[in-house]
Amino acid sequence: MDAIQLLLLSVLVFGVGAVASLLLNNNSRSARYVSGIAGMLASAVGFAAAVLAAVGRSSVLVLAGPLPFGNFSLHIDGLSAFMVGMISLVGFAASLYSISYLEQYSNRSLGVMGFFTNLFIAAMILVVTVANAFWFLVFWEMMTVASYFLVIFEHEKQESIRAGYLYMLVAHAGTALIMLSFFAFYINSGSFDFTAFRLTQLSPAARSLIFLLAFFGFGAKAGMVPLHIWTPATYSAAPSNVSALMSSVMKKTAIYGILRVCVDFLGPSVLWWGWVVLFFGALSAILGVLYALSESDLKRLLAYSSVENVGIILLGVGAGMVGLATKQPVLSLLGFLAALYHTINHAFFKGLLFFGSGSAISQTHTKDLNQMGGLARRMPWTGLAFLIGALAVAAIPPFNGFVSEWFTYQALFTASGNYAVSVRVFAPLLAVLLSLAGAMAAMVFIKAYGGAFTGPFRSEAASQAKEASGTMLAGMAFMALGCLVLGLGAPFIAPYIAQVAADIPTVPLLPVAAGVWVFPAQITQAVLSPPFVAILLLGLLVVPLVVVALYGGYKAGRRTVEDPWTCGYGYSHQMSISATSFNQPMNSTFSVLYLLRTLFRRPFGAIAAWSKRARDGFSRNEPVIENVVSRPTTRFVEYLGQRIQTLQMGDIRMYCLYIILTLAVLLIVIFK
Amino acid sequence: MTSASMVLIGLLQAFLILLLAPLFSGFARVLRAKMHNRRGPSIYQNYRDLVKLMKRQEVVSEQAGWVFQATPYVIMASMLLVATIIPILTARSPFGWVGDMILVVYVFALSRFFFSISGLDTGNTFGGIGARRELLLSVLIEPVMLLVLFVMALLAGSTNLGTISIKVATGQIPYYTSVWLGMLAFAFASFIEMGKLPFDVGEAEQELQEGPLAEFSGHSLALLKWGIYMKQVVVVSLFLAIFLPFGSMTVDSIPGFVLAVVVFLLKVAIFYFIAAIFENAMARVRFMKASAVTWAALGAAILSFVFYLANV
Repeated sequence: MDAIQLLLLSVLVFGVGAVASLLLNNNSRSARYVSGIAGMLASAVGFAAAVLAAVGRSSVLVLAGPLPFGNFSLHIDGLSAFMVGMISLVGFAASLYSISYLEQYSNRSLGVMGFFTNLFIAAMILVVTVANAFWFLVFWEMMTVASYFLVIFEHEKQESIRAGYLYMLVAHAGTALIMLSFFAFYINSGSFDFTAFRLTQLSPAARSLIFLLAFFGFGAKAGMVPLHIWTPATYSAAPSNVSALMSSVMKKTAIYGILRVCVDFLGPSVLWWGWVVLFFGALSAILGVLYALSESDLKRLLAYSSVENVGIILLGVGAGMVGLATKQPVLSLLGFLAALYHTINHAFFKGLLFFGSGSAISQTHTKDLNQMGGLARRMPWTGLAFLIGALAVAAIPPFNGFVSEWFTYQALFTASGNYAVSVRVFAPLLAVLLSLAGAMAAMVFIKAYGGAFTGPFRSEAASQAKEASGTMLAGMAFMALGCLVLGLGAPFIAPYIAQVAADIPTVPLLPVAAGVWVFPAQITQAVLSPPFVAILLLGLLVVPLVVVALYGGYKAGRRTVEDPWTCGYGYSHQMSISATSFNQPMNSTFSVLYLLRTLFRRPFGAIAAWSKRARDGFSRNEPVIENVVSRPTTRFVEYLGQRIQTLQMGDIRMYCLYIILTLAVLLIVIFK
Repeated sequence: MTSASMVLIGLLQAFLILLLAPLFSGFARVLRAKMHNRRGPSIYQNYRDLVKLMKRQEVVSEQAGWVFQATPYVIMASMLLVATIIPILTARSPFGWVGDMILVVYVFALSRFFFSISGLDTGNTFGGIGARRELLLSVLIEPVMLLVLFVMALLAGSTNLGTISIKVATGQIPYYTSVWLGMLAFAFASFIEMGKLPFDVGEAEQELQEGPLAEFSGHSLALLKWGIYMKQVVVVSLFLAIFLPFGSMTVDSIPGFVLAVVVFLLKVAIFYFIAAIFENAMARVRFMKASAVTWAALGAAILSFVFYLANV
């Protein structure tokens, strides 16, 4: 079997699993098992397809029709194989984790859940392999709708419905922009095929327009600032297995889209494109992590941290695009390598963290960090898994997050030697922002781990928590292992990712690893050996052990007391630092940046108030204008107003409206 | 990428730091006492404290998890790792084949990560407050350190600490204005990383940066204190390696080694002496005002970068 056949088989298994689980809707237990096992099987097959495609480099399938304007064609090149591999691995872990995790939802229709989960993963796999714009949009939409239904799984909760609505809204605004960018290609090339997109000759203005449309369209799905507003609400409302899938892999389909359209199709970048990407990357990284810091809702915290990580990925993409624009192939290679590496790393550690938070939440029945505490004593394995995820996301060596951030630093360092003055000025400053984000990310995850897993039990439920069961632990173990392998195995994994990175815009492939070392193309610039870091850290642990043993420290023994020391007063768990008070110094130090969040919200409040005034105005005028004219109008406006009112928390509208209108006008002006 | 002598020198460096760290801290205590017109402890007092603590029974709160137990070991191991990478006795980076300056910055983050969690782990109030203060300082200081390191790395064309050190030692990177400004900013950052006034007071451990120490006792406390002493020397060594690497070996030889050790001890002692003057000449500052002072360090770092861009 070749890669394409395996891929189709995988999609077929997903489909069978989806339907079977729907049929078993009345028996929640079998629905859980059938959908989970089918998802695991299909993911395994999908991974096999990715491996085959990666070895064989590329694989194509074209079916004529069934629609006159779009052949159904699949194309697995290096980038697609990479994405399919990542989606399959995370899909496998999520399916495994779901089997036990969903038990708590047994009184709900788990068949429906299984149906949409399998559909969701299958749609993502198809999105990253399909090679026709029309079908891309079909699967993109399928992915959005399936995930929407997963988000509103607990649909009796107002929170879920509102989150789902917001998600739907932003997702479709993004889809509209993507659609426009595809149309711009279509107008020029006369075909919806990606191959035609790649070959078509465009005017500079049209290329820039397509870049902007695609970047913001996909950016909405990636959740970059300021289009991130849907992510905290959505991830918080969805069950944890779904949040894990959405954050780990669905976001990455947007990164895939950006790479595919802005780098692969459009070819050589213009310098300011790179700057746009770098600017929004830096903005997302800093604001994402700052907002994460101020959250005490565990899942919202993780959602904001995803915003930060998308920012870091975009820093890599931007550096790569700057490299293309300034004809510096080494920089392109490093930038895209860093971006792709961080993409897969984030998939693993963020998936792991969502799994861990799911276990904690299923035991404590709260997302509030201030109501957890001490869970590591009740659920040690979940605690360990969460700690590994936290170390990885905080870029602590030798875990995987560090390796990809190291490559990002090296890309920015390489960029600093660029002949373009603007690049030389800003690249080092971006590195500083990255280090600032890194230091704050460490703080965020110390707070998350510290708040949930250490200290006193801060609620009754926390003190009675039990270790997560069976497949949940297996799912977390799988992801934790992935984090370790991606970190320690960097010298073996980086060359493969470099190969993928070099193929997107076709830049010369340079060696980035030798033996147990990785280096940024030039060995004199820097070397890093993650395996040696791990070996030395573990080996040097012997020193303190020997020192203590030498002085007879272990003979002295230890005594356990009930409470920590409180200067002689009686201890109460309120005395410990809670998650909310933890970041008080940060809140006051960076208060200016938190103001931005309020500012982002302002225009949406204004539009809601305006619509209300307009409605009131119409109703007041009723006696003056003939009833015949006014009543239907009022009713219509009232209806509209009510519609808008229901969107009241839909912060994003104003932006989307602005963007779509502006771009539509631009389109008309340019293509007239 | 490596040779046996480099491995040996790296391990010797780690051993030297391990052995001498309490001595330097003792030196700082003596200086402090003299400046206060007190008689003060002996310079060896820290060794005696450590030995005594090692033999004491450990008292642990019921709430403490394994992170709390592991922290002293992790901190000491990470400081030892950094001590092997920084060019201390030789101008090259002995364990440069393990990683570069970015790794060093993030290994500091590793020790800080465990240190802070250990503060939260016990549920102790002071531990938690100490943890969050430690982290705020790191957020304010880490960008300064990284920017200065980046400027020096750009001048050297490599992020390898050894390459930077050699180029400064041999005059391939002359002392430009940017290097002076970078030195100023980095010295400031090192001073804060060492946990000195105006942000920290050695005698009031339970409320400030060393807050997470509150719950430790017995050999854990001994190890942790030792680790913190080591961190201070390591931070100073990093500063010296980048900005004042003269006296270090450029060719391996026994006399060179002895000379390098002596010069290193002198340089660290002088740094401690200057730090002690600053520390004792300053009043304590309200912690929330810390950012106002650190912006100045960031300013110096940015100026250094600007001068680098202007090639002066």
